Amino acid sequence: MSADGVAGCGLRLRTGLAKAVLSEVARLLERLSDAGETGAVDLHSLPMTDGDRAELEERLGRGEIEATLSVAGVSRVWETRYAGVWWVRHFGSDERIAAEEIAITHVPQILVAHPADIRAAASALRDDLATQPPQGASEESRHVGP
Amino acid sequence: MSDRETLGAALARCGISRRALLKYSSYLATLMALPPAASSAMAEALAKARRQSVIWLSFQECTGCTESLTRSFSPTLEDLIFNLISLDYHHTLMAVSGAAAEAARLEAMKENAGKYLVVVDGSVPLGDDGAYSTIAGITNRQMLTETVEHALAVISVGTCAAFGGLPHADPNPTGAVPVSAIVTGKPVINISGCPPLPEAMAGTVSYILSFGKLPELDHLHRPKAFFGDSIHDRCYRRPFYERGMFAKSFDDDGARNGWCLYELGCKGPVTYNSCATLKWNGGTSFPIQSGHGCLGCSEPGFWDKGGFYRPLAAGTGSPGVAVGAAAIGGVAVGAASAALHRRRLHDQGGEKPK
Repeated sequence: MSADGVAGCGLRLRTGLAKAVLSEVARLLERLSDAGETGAVDLHSLPMTDGDRAELEERLGRGEIEATLSVAGVSRVWETRYAGVWWVRHFGSDERIAAEEIAITHVPQILVAHPADIRAAASALRDDLATQPPQGASEESRHVGP
Repeated sequence: MSDRETLGAALARCGISRRALLKYSSYLATLMALPPAASSAMAEALAKARRQSVIWLSFQECTGCTESLTRSFSPTLEDLIFNLISLDYHHTLMAVSGAAAEAARLEAMKENAGKYLVVVDGSVPLGDDGAYSTIAGITNRQMLTETVEHALAVISVGTCAAFGGLPHADPNPTGAVPVSAIVTGKPVINISGCPPLPEAMAGTVSYILSFGKLPELDHLHRPKAFFGDSIHDRCYRRPFYERGMFAKSFDDDGARNGWCLYELGCKGPVTYNSCATLKWNGGTSFPIQSGHGCLGCSEPGFWDKGGFYRPLAAGTGSPGVAVGAAAIGGVAVGAASAALHRRRLHDQGGEKPK
């Protein structure tokens, strides 16, 4: 298993699967560009060897954005060197990959805050403000001004 | 958690965000080979659903199926299934026992009539009027018949419940039968395996909860999402099979270098399950990756198919039936095995021979 929790079959053999996935990604990226349709390739169900996975990561590379999420275990999301092509890797709590996909989209859905969570957050913030005891001027504000 | 509350509201109250539900749905979509776009719809549907009442009956079994589910690999992610269901009765896991346990079962049946799922592990012994296994003074058959009467559907987990399994193996001293031999007039889903993959159990229940319908099933009533491909179809050793490169013993160089285990008795070509992709022990490995051929444990009668170490080409039926030694060798082997398997599917009322 690699440091990033990738449990392959231990073979460095390259079967050509990475190239097939890249062709699929290219087709989906054109569709996103031309018609605005999003798509995804599920990597977890493909019988990839460690060599295939390494080849795919190498060919797609890393782009400008990387994010780590702490939600029901860790998730890592990064944009590849191709804009609109994202690698989304979900881990269970034991740092093993539970789900993994290449998402072809403007922003992966997992990064977007859900309206229900936003509503709950707004309510929670209001409650926090209402229940906080009145405070005097902070230490910093006493040093501000002439 | 109130059973009237939606799952979305209940999870939010526990500090579990919709993002977590979306991650869980992505995980389920991956497991069930659903289009990745289905995960958003699934998350929304789960948020609006109510907890699913589940009654789990354990009959002639070894508790391996329960071990498989409860020792699943990613607690924070996969444990979400336990937030989605109300496990109202389960011998091994429930706190109460005796009359109080039976009262819980009857109460769940009454309160959720027409809506609860019955999960069964273990076969049902019919020999000697069912005397080989009784619970609370009634036979397994009586308990099963009584419990499924107002159920939404029945899920047979493990090869014992699905096909009779080990208790059903020759000479079947207890007269063991699968659940489907007794339950009629209700949908029965078989999730076979000895034990079955925990993801297949959790995924099937979550699918029913999300979409309000049963997943697509194969001719043996197994969810196609988990049993649609053979182990061989998804095996990382398959490229060696295609090249005719076979290990000759369990410790030779070929075996160590990933060559195909076909000649060592691997039943992967005729076994339908997801072990090769989902794997076991937290995605660490599966039997073939550990150097042992597939036993075919998710198929009916796997125990009586003539020996785990006999190549498929030597026949898996009665002794003496053989496809022929000339078939050994790459593609010819595959053709012989495939023909043999198609014939068996045909015999079981499935795919027609080509």
